[in-house]
Parts: sequence; C-alpha cells; structure tokens
Amino acid sequence: MVAAFAAPFWRVAAAAAPFALAACIGAAVLAATGHDPLAVYRLMVEEAFGGQRRVAATLTAATPLLLTGLAAAIAFRAGIFNVGAEGCFYLGGLVAAVLGYVMAGWPSMLLIPIALGAAAIVGGVWLIGPALARTRLGVDEVVTTLMLNFIAVDITSWLVNGPLLARGSANSATLPIGAGAELPRLLPPTTLHLGFVISLALVALFGLWERLTAAGLRSQMVGLNPRFSRAVGIDVPATLLSMMIASGLIGGLAGAIHVLGLVHRFVAGFSPGYGFTGIAIAVLGRNSAIGIAVGAVLFGALSSAGATIQLFSDVPIEIVEILQGAVMIFAVAKFGAGRRRGAAPA
Amino acid sequence: MIDLFLHAAMLMTTPILLTAIGGMVNRIGGLVNIGLESMMLAGALAAVEVSAATGSVAAALAAALAAGAILGLAMSLVVTRLCANEIIVGLGFNVAVAGGVRFLLKSAYGVSGTFNPPGVVMLARYDLPVVKEIPVFGAVVSGQDCLTWFAWFMVPITAFVLHRTRIGLRLRATGAAEATVRAVGLKPLNIRDASSVFAGAMAGLAGAHLSIGVVGLFNEGITGGRGFIALAAFYFGRSSPARTALGAVLFGFFDAAQIRLQGRGMPAELVQTLPYIIVIVVLVGLGFADLRRAREGVV
Repeated sequence: MVAAFAAPFWRVAAAAAPFALAACIGAAVLAATGHDPLAVYRLMVEEAFGGQRRVAATLTAATPLLLTGLAAAIAFRAGIFNVGAEGCFYLGGLVAAVLGYVMAGWPSMLLIPIALGAAAIVGGVWLIGPALARTRLGVDEVVTTLMLNFIAVDITSWLVNGPLLARGSANSATLPIGAGAELPRLLPPTTLHLGFVISLALVALFGLWERLTAAGLRSQMVGLNPRFSRAVGIDVPATLLSMMIASGLIGGLAGAIHVLGLVHRFVAGFSPGYGFTGIAIAVLGRNSAIGIAVGAVLFGALSSAGATIQLFSDVPIEIVEILQGAVMIFAVAKFGAGRRRGAAPA
Repeated sequence: MIDLFLHAAMLMTTPILLTAIGGMVNRIGGLVNIGLESMMLAGALAAVEVSAATGSVAAALAAALAAGAILGLAMSLVVTRLCANEIIVGLGFNVAVAGGVRFLLKSAYGVSGTFNPPGVVMLARYDLPVVKEIPVFGAVVSGQDCLTWFAWFMVPITAFVLHRTRIGLRLRATGAAEATVRAVGLKPLNIRDASSVFAGAMAGLAGAHLSIGVVGLFNEGITGGRGFIALAAFYFGRSSPARTALGAVLFGFFDAAQIRLQGRGMPAELVQTLPYIIVIVVLVGLGFADLRRAREGVV
C-alpha cells in the first residue's frame, strides 16, 4: 500500500526537483542584483496563472512547446537522440506562411489542412537523411540533427531575405498570411487559438498510441533494448526510421501552427529555441503524454510571465532564460546516482 | 587584396581554432561539449570588463580564461557527478549563460545588447620585421596578435601531449576505456573534468579574442554560433589536432569569405551553412568507409 502511494510521489518529486533547483539559482541571481526573489516569483505566478486572460496567454505560449516536446519524446522513446525539431519548426513555419499567402483565396477548410500537412511533410522529409545515416551507416544522429538545425535556420533566413522578402518590408519576413489561413481564436480578446487544441489532442493521441498499440510498444522496446527487439523479430531500423520521420512531421507541424495561429507570417529567427525547450520538456516529462502536457504548460508559464514581468518591475526579462536553462540542466541530472555508483563494486 | 583576405581569414580562424582544440581534447576525454558557445560568450564579456577596469590585457585574458574554465568545470561536474546527459546540459548552459549575460548587462550596466565601456585595451598586433616582407606567408603570419600565435602553437603541443605523454595516454584511455582507467587506480571522472576545464579555458580565450582582439566591445551576439562551428571543426578533425586545425582554417576562411561575398550576389546565409554541411558530408563519408570495411571484413 505504502509503496503504491510512494512511487507516484517520488516520480512527481523527481520531476519537480529541477524546477526547485532552478528557482534557487534564479533567486541567487535576483538577490545578488538587489531584487526580492520571493516578490518576483509571486509576481511571475500571478502573471502566468492569475485570471482567465493570463491563463490563456500561458496556454498560447505552451502551444508550440506541446508539439516540440512531443517531437522530442517520440524519438527519445525509440532510443534516437533527435535534437533536430528546431530546424523542422523553422521549415514548417516557412512552408505554412508561404502557402498561407500564396493560396490566400482558398476556403479555410482546404487551405489550413493543406498548409499544415505540407509543413509536416517538409519536417518529416528533413529528418529522413539523418535517420538513414543512423540506421544504415551508424552515423551519430545528435551531431547531424544539430547541424541540420543551423542549416534550416540559415536557409529560411536566406529565403525571407532574398527570394521571398515581402515587398516594401525591411525586416526579413514573408507577407502576412490571408485571413482564411489563420487558425480561429478560441477566447477572442486573447491570443489562444485552435492550435492549442490540435496540439493537446495530438499529445493525448500519442498517450493512447504508446500505451495501447503494438507499434507503441514496439518503439518503446527498441528504445529500451534494441538487441532484444531484433531477437524477437522487430525491424529495428524501420522502427527508428519511422519514429524519426514522425518526430520531424510533428516538428514541422509545430512551426506551421505557430505561424497560422499566432505570428501570421514567417519572420527570420522566429523561434526562441522552441525545439530545444521541447527536448527539456520531453526529458522532464519522461516521454509521457501527461508529462509533456505539464512540462509545456510550466515552460509556457515561464515565458508568458517573463513577457509581462518586465512591464511591472525592473527585473530584466532574461531571468526567464536563466530559469529555463537551469531547468534544462537539472532536468537530466540524477541526484544520488554518484553515491550509488561509488557503493557498487566497480 | 589577397593579402588582406588571408589576414582576415587568419583572424577569423583563431577563435574557432582555440575552441576546437579545447572541444577536441574534451571529446577525447569522453565528453562532447555542446556548451562551448556559452563559455566563449562568458570569456568575451569577462575580457571586456577586466580590460576596461584594469587597462591590462594580461588581466583581461586571465579573466576570460577563468570565466570559461569555471563554466567548463560546472558543466562537467553536472555531467560526470550527476550522470546528466551531456547534450542537454550543454544546450541548457547555452540558454542559461546567454540569458545570464544579458541579465547582467541590463542590471549591472543598464545597457541592452552591446557593452562598450571606455578604456578597453585591445590585444596588440605584432609585425614581424623580416617575415612580413614575404608575400602571402607574411600576410598570414605577421601582424597577428598573441592569441593567434598561441592557438597555432597549441596544435603541435596538443598532438605531442596526447600521443607522447602520460597525461595524454590517461586522457585517451578515459574516453575510450573508462573502466580500465578505474581498474588501474586512476580517477577517470577527475581526468574528464580536467579536460572540460581545459576546453572551457580555451573557449574563454577564444571569446576574449573576439571581444578585445577584433572589435573592442562586447555584443550579445558576438560569438555568432562559433562554438558550434568549433564543434563542426573537431568532428571534422576526428581527434587529430592537425585535421582539427585544417577544419578550423577552412571554416575561418568561410567566415572571412562570407563578409566579402555579401556585396557580390552570394548570400551570406548560404555561405554560413557550409561548415555544417561539410561536417554532415564528412560524417556520412566516414560511415560509408566503416560500412565498406565491415563488409570486406565479413567476406
């Protein structure tokens, strides 16, 4: 009985520890620069969750993170360390933005699915290369996907500075998308849009898939023990390839939803590292659907609070980045692991 | 014209080379350092602050070295003692340090983005009396600062230490066979931490080269992804100091070329992708070579 209650408690505690440690580091930074950490944190919590509009802003900020977290988790589960969601996010965003203004006259019912679908496909195709390099040649996917991120950022910024630059626009961006391509707003004065529902639904779908389907189990087994999986007849390379492509599809979709739902155009450098934050979310949430949802909302709260905190206090907005980075660092730390290893006969 | 370009290319190579040597040593010791960018950034800021405050280049370089080394040690401890994934920790350091640097600029100096205090003393560049008259070679070697010479000096030194000394052997063993190192009574985690401190120190110096060696001020975007270019260089170099240096020179030339090509219809963004594309091509090429060797071995 006790163990049954204790296990979930420790799992929650393990997921909360990185936030607590990051908060300590943030408090030290704030105190050292003459701010009252408790007052700042209270203000941040109020800004993130106090009232309907604030919650809506937090959920809007969580939307891209739900999908980049999912993109990371689906690959990590299968044992592929894909850090390429950021690049897919850029490419998907650009594709959706271009279709959104080129096909502006089309009815929304057609235009939005086409734009989202095309963006997802581009994201998926982008990761076929590193996936094949990993499965056929054994090339480390961390480095290839990391490098592909920079290539995607540079290519998209070249396209919007040159061939696709909006006429008369000095800042490297595409034309705004047509009104018919915009995802509908859910709570009109706020920016919360349909993309949040789509993203949450996909995360929920992932939760069902991983628990209830044979494919979900297979990909988990490949992640846990590839040699055993091969021995029982699972096609390991095919599983890795499909999970990597799925990860890219979701990454591309994330960028498209961000464009169609919120930004309404593609701007060079438009992701403040959503793909990388997604990695932290997947790790914190242990690749589970609920973990991803909670993690995305918490990181969303951080960034939405950060956006307004600067207006109401003299605390620089960068405190949010310090906290986010610290959470990432501690998300993967295993406390007590060092002692355990020391005790074990080496 | 060509002399000017070569000189600029050498100047752009220096920070990449310094960081790449550090990252290579770190990787040989068993840690792939994605956080080099953050250590460069900290070094760049520390160098400007101390240079302006003391007027001493030596003190500025010491501060940059220390800033990078401390970050390197912190990152390494999280990875080696808390068993954290090095990639995610490295990404986290990049995010946190970039935020921390901007936070510091705003709260301590009240500036955002660029920090240009009065009295920054730059690294001196030295003309070599006879050498500078030699065409091409003179442009490359003469008129450089001490960090550039130091970076090139470190290439043979690193090769020597890695392959001809006890420390080098222990470092290579730590990366390749940790259990063996532990079995003979050494502490592999301490050795790995030491390699990270070295990587951080080198990246810190590289940051100092960018801030007090090239521009004379600090900007939040001053590193411009060079930590990742350095990563590309040491992956290109595959644990060989000479090949890593070759990668650094290649990417330094791209860096210098993109500035010049901008006005001639060649988009800078596409030139910037070259180091990353080359690394992917090299890794895939190595993968094919391994595959071929494995097949021949089977037959």
